[in-house]
Amino acid sequence: MSEIKKIKNLKEFSTSADRFEGANLLCPGCAHSIIVREILNATNDDLILSASTGCLEVCTAVYPYTSWDASWIHIGFENGSTAVAGAEAMYKALKRKGRLKQPDREPKFVAFGGDGASYDIGFQWISGCFERGHNMMYVVLDNEVYANTGGQRSSSTPIGASTTTAPAGRVSYGEKMNKKDMLAIMAAHGSPYVAQVAPNKWKDMIKKIQHGFQVEGPVFINAMSACTTEWKFAPEDTIAISDLATDSLVFPLYEIIDGTKLNITYRPKNVIPVKDYLGAQGRFKHLFKPENKHILDEWQERIDKQWEYLQRREEASV
Amino acid sequence: MAEKMELRDIEVWDGNMAASQAMRQVQIDVVAAYPITPSTPIVENYGSFLANGYVDGEFVMVESEHAAMSGCVGASAAGGRVATATSSQGFALMVEVLYQASGMRLPIVLNVVNRALAAPLNVNGDHSDMYLGRDSGWIQFDAYNPQEAYDLNFIAFKVAEDHDVRLPAMVHQDGFMTSHTAQGVHTLDDDTAYNFVGEFQPMNDMLDLDNPVTHGVQTEEDWHFEHKARQHNDLMTKVFPKIEAAFDAFEKLTGRRYNLVETYNVEDADAVVVCMGTSVETAVEVSKELRAEGKKVGVVGIRVFRPWPFEAIRDALKDVKAIGALDRSSPNGTVGALFNELAGTLINGDTKNVLSNYVYGLGGRDLTKAHLREIFGELLANAEAGALTTPTQQFVGLRGPKLSFL
Amino acid sequence: MENNGWNDFEIGAMLRSFEKPVSGVATILQEDRPYSPNNSFTASVADWRIEKPIFNKDYCIDCQFCWIYCPDISIISRDKKMVGVDYDHCKGCGICVEVCPTNPKSLLMFEERADEEAMLAAWPEKETKEK
Repeated sequence: MSEIKKIKNLKEFSTSADRFEGANLLCPGCAHSIIVREILNATNDDLILSASTGCLEVCTAVYPYTSWDASWIHIGFENGSTAVAGAEAMYKALKRKGRLKQPDREPKFVAFGGDGASYDIGFQWISGCFERGHNMMYVVLDNEVYANTGGQRSSSTPIGASTTTAPAGRVSYGEKMNKKDMLAIMAAHGSPYVAQVAPNKWKDMIKKIQHGFQVEGPVFINAMSACTTEWKFAPEDTIAISDLATDSLVFPLYEIIDGTKLNITYRPKNVIPVKDYLGAQGRFKHLFKPENKHILDEWQERIDKQWEYLQRREEASV
Repeated sequence: MAEKMELRDIEVWDGNMAASQAMRQVQIDVVAAYPITPSTPIVENYGSFLANGYVDGEFVMVESEHAAMSGCVGASAAGGRVATATSSQGFALMVEVLYQASGMRLPIVLNVVNRALAAPLNVNGDHSDMYLGRDSGWIQFDAYNPQEAYDLNFIAFKVAEDHDVRLPAMVHQDGFMTSHTAQGVHTLDDDTAYNFVGEFQPMNDMLDLDNPVTHGVQTEEDWHFEHKARQHNDLMTKVFPKIEAAFDAFEKLTGRRYNLVETYNVEDADAVVVCMGTSVETAVEVSKELRAEGKKVGVVGIRVFRPWPFEAIRDALKDVKAIGALDRSSPNGTVGALFNELAGTLINGDTKNVLSNYVYGLGGRDLTKAHLREIFGELLANAEAGALTTPTQQFVGLRGPKLSFL
Repeated sequence: MENNGWNDFEIGAMLRSFEKPVSGVATILQEDRPYSPNNSFTASVADWRIEKPIFNKDYCIDCQFCWIYCPDISIISRDKKMVGVDYDHCKGCGICVEVCPTNPKSLLMFEERADEEAMLAAWPEKETKEK
């Protein structure tokens, strides 16, 4: 088993040599980049990576440039997970047959996908990989829309968000359905470890990523990715918005071990009102019209209920 | 270490078993597969070989055919020998990944047991799935019987993995008619079979951890054309010499001769039937009977469907007065694919060929010797008249009023 | 590279990160890596900016917030100390300024053409909270 990289504090962490390069095509202020950097810097192990079609893939591998300093593959929209699973199978086969070029090094297999790729079009592929128990990590870069194509709704889009295919209009307040609970679904697959992370809570993220790299089997990470372009806030506010998300408990940070044991890993000192989080983003601004007040109320109620549920699960230890 | 299997010199195998045995013998590193009639036995046989210690690669039983080809692409890019098998709907489901695999120049071998495409649903053999993948950028071989399904697998691995080629390859065989019909197959022993293909030589492999590579980039209007042109160029120029060299080496090893285009009595023929799959052997039998009756007829069997052996076919057919293109797939609104490929090949030649189209055998409908006699008869009439004596396109073996067009 | 014809590149549009084999790249600093011309590290997005961050080391406490939250790996930190901004890769998003905890901030945004020395000389005073 490879050694866990020691990251006592941020100063120590800053000595990392990034394996993700700049001069890519991601928007200024893109959280995907911050997340990818934190994940790649969490380990010194070799990495075999994949990405599904989406912002990350399209902005970091446009011929003639690649922004990746580790082997990386993109096949299509649905199959970033299966691409890495295939590579992992090849690794196992070559190891058994004694044909690995660097037999003493054990690479980590990580697939990245947006929420569109993961919750929707690639859902079956992820399910298959997890059912088969490949030794891999799947990271969803969750910006709650199909961002790369201009902001269409996905099954991760939360209630009331205005997207291009479910826009707020005279007779609609935007998205009607709530976010799919992917973490519960992947935990139900019997994954040894699933967790929600956010880039503003880097220490929590690193701990979870390192743990994910240590366990055997498929690990699922849902990373909140505040999207300046689609959530409609100024690029410099990415971390500030992420703070609002975690501190309002809209994006609670927790982990589920072996599909059952839930641990809350971040408890904000001051829980802020959900409407402060919603109010900071253009995609929710129509919710502040008087006729939509009931949606704001519904939001706070639902987040409160969700937090209650998480605490009960944690207490009950099942 | 995988156990070796002792084989008799001649085994009684159907096309599926023949393909699975070839897959076992070349010692594939990763098979990612999903079952679908009539290729399911290939996946089952492979699973059985694994369970009994004859395979030490990985066998990933994925959740769909799209995932099967996706897993194969990931495994191939990682760097090793990869293969799978499918048919019909599964082939259709994985079509987007077929294009991705060939665009990424990954040497995967796909056994396609040809079956009709729905709707209506049909599990029997025809070539509609094969035709769907025509432009996917894969090298494509066609086997007419279990022996060929066995032999062509070795050729496919050898050619696909060659560093000057690096293109995925399909081995087609007729669903049920070949896949489920047992015949005597001359075998190679495990060592000979493996050594013919040789050890896998990685190239641009992701698992070479000191040389990270990026596979599957995006190219837009400034680069896409060049990359696709390069792929097409390599298909047009690099593949035939390697296939012919492999055919030569195979003949030396086994005495069995394969050619880019299989021709039977074509040199002085007035009328030739061109077809694929099991129909070739039926046509050859009928042509022999007709020859005995003094009729100058011949048969061309397509052995390599892609790249299309333009020159070999043109040379074989240029002096043939009447040619019948037999398509085992409905062209749905036009003349058949084989008709079009032949027309394109022959149009700029100096001799005048009369070309007609027969659509037959859809969804497992038999093409009988009687049908072929009739077809040859019509072709000879065309040859005599120097022109079409029938409509351009006719359906053969169909119940109901005679269906013909153009 | 722009004028390469169809016969001038590796097949499959495959790209290499480095020109030579590199073992343990996670422990090798960027300046020591043999980047291939296809690595985006060798490219620049400086022309994306309309504003740029200027770093004032007089106030910096090397907390590394800017290093970790920079999406574009444009905050250069070596031996746990802030060194400066990588202006080839900085897109001018302004996150580094927002997360900087010092008072006055050690990073501030200025218009792209601003003269660094002049701006450093005119750095704003420490902000006091209004009573």
